[in-house]
This record gives sequence, structure tokens and C-alpha cells, in this order.
Amino acid sequence: MNSMNRTRGTGFSRREFLRRAGLTTFTIGATPALLAACGDDTTPATTGPANAGASPSVPPASGTLDYFSWEGYDAPIDEMKAWLADNDVELNSGYIANHDDIQAKLKASNNSEGFDLITYYQGYKPLYAELGILATIDDSKIPNLAGLNEFWTNDPKHQWLNEDGTRTGVPWTFGSIGITYDSTKIDEMSSWFDLLDPSLKGKISMPDDPVGQFTLTAHILDLDPGACPKANLADVVELNSRFVAQAESISPSFGDMTTKLVSGDIVACYQGWAAMNSFAAAEGVDTVKTNLPEEGSFTFADMYAIPTGADNVDTAHAFMNQILEPEVNARLAEFLVGAVTVDAAVDLLNEETLALYPYEDIEGYLALAPLYNNPPIESDEFVTQKEWTDAWQEIKAAGGA
Amino acid sequence: MASVAEETRPPAEPRRVGRSIIPALPAAAGLVAFFLVPLLVFAVYSVLTAQLYDVSAPFTLDAYGEAVSSRVNRTLATNSAVIGLATAAVTVAVGLPIAYWLRRSAGRLRIPVLFLIIASMFASYLVRIYAWRTVLGANGLINNGLQRLGLIDEPLDFLLYSRFAVAVALVHIFLPYVVLVLYAAMGPLGAGLLEAAQDLGAGSRTLWRRVIIPLMAAPAASAFLFVFILSASDYVTPQFLGGTNGVTLGVQVQVNFRTLGNYPVAAATSILMMAAFLACYLLSSLVLRLLRLQDIRFVN
Repeated sequence: MNSMNRTRGTGFSRREFLRRAGLTTFTIGATPALLAACGDDTTPATTGPANAGASPSVPPASGTLDYFSWEGYDAPIDEMKAWLADNDVELNSGYIANHDDIQAKLKASNNSEGFDLITYYQGYKPLYAELGILATIDDSKIPNLAGLNEFWTNDPKHQWLNEDGTRTGVPWTFGSIGITYDSTKIDEMSSWFDLLDPSLKGKISMPDDPVGQFTLTAHILDLDPGACPKANLADVVELNSRFVAQAESISPSFGDMTTKLVSGDIVACYQGWAAMNSFAAAEGVDTVKTNLPEEGSFTFADMYAIPTGADNVDTAHAFMNQILEPEVNARLAEFLVGAVTVDAAVDLLNEETLALYPYEDIEGYLALAPLYNNPPIESDEFVTQKEWTDAWQEIKAAGGA
Repeated sequence: MASVAEETRPPAEPRRVGRSIIPALPAAAGLVAFFLVPLLVFAVYSVLTAQLYDVSAPFTLDAYGEAVSSRVNRTLATNSAVIGLATAAVTVAVGLPIAYWLRRSAGRLRIPVLFLIIASMFASYLVRIYAWRTVLGANGLINNGLQRLGLIDEPLDFLLYSRFAVAVALVHIFLPYVVLVLYAAMGPLGAGLLEAAQDLGAGSRTLWRRVIIPLMAAPAASAFLFVFILSASDYVTPQFLGGTNGVTLGVQVQVNFRTLGNYPVAAATSILMMAAFLACYLLSSLVLRLLRLQDIRFVN
């Protein structure tokens, strides 16, 4: 997911979310920023092959770790706070309001700011590879990779493992899109097309997330959003327009959609998210549910990654290794209302978080809600990101069908 | 417009440059550093060739061509203009009588009301936007009230997530500024001038039409432009309150810069927006000049 503001589960007050959303949402890093204070480790990030010959060992963590990504993905849980304190690591976090802030800021500063740790949603791998902003991760420094669920050890689409086997991302959580709805106002819907019922006119919303909207709508039409023939763009536009025409509004964030559900302005969401159940519960409304319709949807998997301008690479590796500790992976999933990628973490999840995803058959689940790539930046054959983004703006401006 | 009071000005004294500009130097330096230089950078970016999240030679006007020919841009520019004009018109129309009342009739209420107007500006921008959602929403104050009074059976959908909601919120946000600007401009509008007009037979309508409005035309035009430019370029309020058609051109600049990494088109769109606002300013100046309102001065 890219163009959305996320907020983190129950560890985050609504007031704080609104404040941060207001402060960060529309800031664009257009000019080179000041260099952050750097850590002691002067090991630069490389793009060369992993250190295959060394024995597995976690490098010592120290100094300042400069993080730049979603708020909450810097793992503000007790287990990680203790780890940071024990290793005398200062976590210097910069937050994004939109996934595109990552590449925009890194490219605007030519990776000179010294960020050590970022995240990326799997669909962004092709773009980030083209921009050359992902450094190679040394698997030998992250022994906890061995604890990943088997699904995450392979990567046929090369979204976290390159073709040559080198690694650019460490998958640590995932989540899927579904229909989020107020169960006191409507029954669970088995199909996305149920949202087009005339009785729901003006009672649904969706996030202002062009890539997410395109991915979901293309999936419903049984098209691959990462390789959608240009001839099919009109079909995607037509179907998406119908959903937009049903909508009361386009929300700037999932938090905003939650607010609308809580206030009763809407009853359901096209491109909802299970985390919204918790956001609503935090506002005193525990009747918001999310379900996966029969057509399925898409899954987002988040990777930790090291940008090429990093200067505290060892600590970044140590941090990622710690995130893959079963206890940490489980607690973080509960905090973020997401899923775990570590096998041993599944048994450590609380009942509520465990119920979100069918860990007994992850592969089957992800066949129904696949991990797609984003539309390509340039292509003569497939719908590009610009073509869809322009189409999305036109759909919004026209108010849908 | 009927004739208005004009001044016979004494010959202007020759200006003394040199030491007199020294106090203005820090402000001028700030203006150059934080406005002109970034603007120049933008202008240069707008004529460079787009790369993915980068720019390169050669110089080209392709970005301007793309910005102008884009159907999306034209639609969003229309949205922006409609929202801007509606907001500016309502704000000035509401602000002018308020400012006049504060100057002429408020009496002991003047200071408390001025304080309240200024205090309202301290509230967070986002808090005010969310407050309007509470007022205008399907379960908001207005709909609940109307339903309880039996005036409506179903909530009024158009109140929220519409251009109406955007205009209401923007009027609320900019009204204090307009009231203060017009209040200050009315300072020299003394009782003697109005009494003289009334002594000459002007009723209240004529007073407004032939004395107050002509005298306030230039400040009101400035206030109108101020609100129009800020409203038309606002893209926060439309996203929270504007519904499916609440998108303005500023969003497209953001999309080009952040999502598509097309810096030249983002810069070109911004430059074109500035040019459009400059054209509006020049047009208002021309209109005032044609109506002979631009040189009106108060006579002491």
C-alpha cells in the first residue's frame, strides 16, 4: 500500500494520530535535508554479493540508527525498546505520510542523508531496483532468517530476493485488503460487487490510494496489476468508476475512513483493512469487521531494507535480526494488527491477532490475495503507473460513473 | 460607479535612497533566500528534461506542454477556480459588514469581538476541519437538529463531502483574516465623512453604494485575491471535506512530484498556477483602474 496514512493499532491515540497526520501528510522533501548525526559504524552499504563465506553471526549494534518509514514500523514495543537500551542504540526515526515519500526523499537528497533503515511494500521492488536505492542485505548477519515461514524463503517474483539470490528486503509482516464494514448496519458481504447495491449509494468510502485502487480493481477483473495490458485499462476504469460513484467520499487515509465508520457517515469501505477494526475499537466502537470476499483481494508484505546511503549497516542488520525473534515478531504483529512471517511467532500471538490470517495455509490464502507488483513506470505493453494515476484523478474529479 | 471622493495630491518629494533601505535589508534578504531562490529553482526544474525522480539536460518546454494539455489538470484547475471564487466571494461579502459594524457600531463589544476573531485563528487547521465534519455530517449537529425538529426525514447528504462543505470550511478559516484586513482599512473611514454624505441626502443604501464600497473597493479586492489564491491552492480541506469531486490542482502537483517523480511537470504546473494568480491580480488592478477606484485616498 502506498498513498495512505497508517496509524498503529492500540498503542496510538486518535488525537496523536490526527496531530501527526496533519503535521506530516503534506510535507514534501523537495530540497536536500541536513545530514543526520551518524552512528559510530562506518561500514558503508554495498550493492555487491552477500558475504557467503562467513559463519552466521549478528554484528554488534551501536550508535545511531536512522530510520525512515511508517510510524510504528520502527517497532515502539517494549521488547525492542529494551533491545535498543541494552545495545546503547539511539533510534532516530523519520516518518512518512505516503510510501512515495521514501523514494522522493532518498532521490532528492541523492541518498546522502545517511538513513540506515527503511521499509518497502513488495510492489515497490521494481521501482526501487530501477532507482538503485536498495543495498544488498548480508544474510549471514541475520541468522533469524532461518525462522521464517517457508513461504517467505522463496521469492519467484523477486520482490525481496534478486534473481542471483542476493537479498534486498527482509519480510517481517503482511496484511490483506478486505471489505471493512459496520456490522450493526449491514451484514457481511460475500462479494465486492455487493458494495454496488443501490441501498449503499453514498454510504461507502475508499482511500485515496491510486495504486491500491488499481491493484484491487484489476484483481477483481482477474488481471495482474503489475502486468495489465493497456487494452484492459478501460475495463479497470469502468469498474473502479462504479465504486467511486457509490462513495460518499474518498478518504485521505485509513484512519480517516475509520473516523467515518465510527461517526456513521459511511457503513463500508472498498479497500478496507483489518487494522481498522482495532482503530474503531480504540474509539469505543467494536462492531467494525473486515472480511475477505469470494473474489479475494491483494496482500501487502512489508520488508525492512537498507538504503544505499546507509552508514550504520551493522546495526541495521542487528535490528532486522531482532525483529525476526519470535517473541518480537509476535508482539509487533499485535501492535500493528498485522501478520507474522516467523513460524515460531504464530503460537505466541494472542487470540485476536491469530484469527486475522489462516497460518495453517498461508500459501493457499496468498493465492486468493496475491502479492502483486505495482504498475510499471514505463511500458509500451502494460498500463503504467502514470496512466493509472491520471485515470484515478479523472475518476475522482468526475465523481465516478 | 458614481463619482467618489478624490484627493488633490501635493507634488511628491524626491525619494531618499541609501540609509532608508537598511532596515528593510533583512526582510529583503529573507524574501530572496526563501522565496525568490526556491522560485528560481522551480523555474529551472520546469524547463529541464524529466528522468525518474531526477532531471537532466537538455532544456525543453515539454513539461509545460504536458501540464497544459492534461485533461486532468484542466478539470482540477476548474475545481480549484470554483472553490476559490465561491470562498472569496462569500468571505468578503460576509466580512465587509462585520468589519463595518466593528468600526462604526460595536461600541464596547469591539474589543471582545476582535479578541474572539483573533483567538479563533489560534485553533489548529485540522481541528477546525474535523469540527466541521462533526457539524455537517450525517449524524452531525445540523442533520440531527433538523431531524429532531421534524423538518427532514433523512440526513441532508450535500452538507458534507461536497464543494459546499469545502467552501464553508474555507470561509470559516479565512473570514478572520478578511475581517481584520477590512477593519484596518476602514480605520480612516471617519464619522465626519459619513455624516457629510448623509447631510447631502445619502440614505443608507446610497451611503454604501457611493461612499463606503468605492472607498473599500481596493482593500476588498486585495482581501478577495488573498482568499481566492489561498482557497484555490488549498488541497487539505478538499481532501477531508470535498467528497469524490473535491480534488484541486495542488494534489496533482503533489502526485507528479511524489508518486510519479516527474519534477519538471510538477514545477511547470506550479509555475502556471502562479501565472494564473498573477493574471488575476493584474485583472483586478485593471478593473479598479478602469473604474477609477485605485487611487482613492481618504482626506484628513
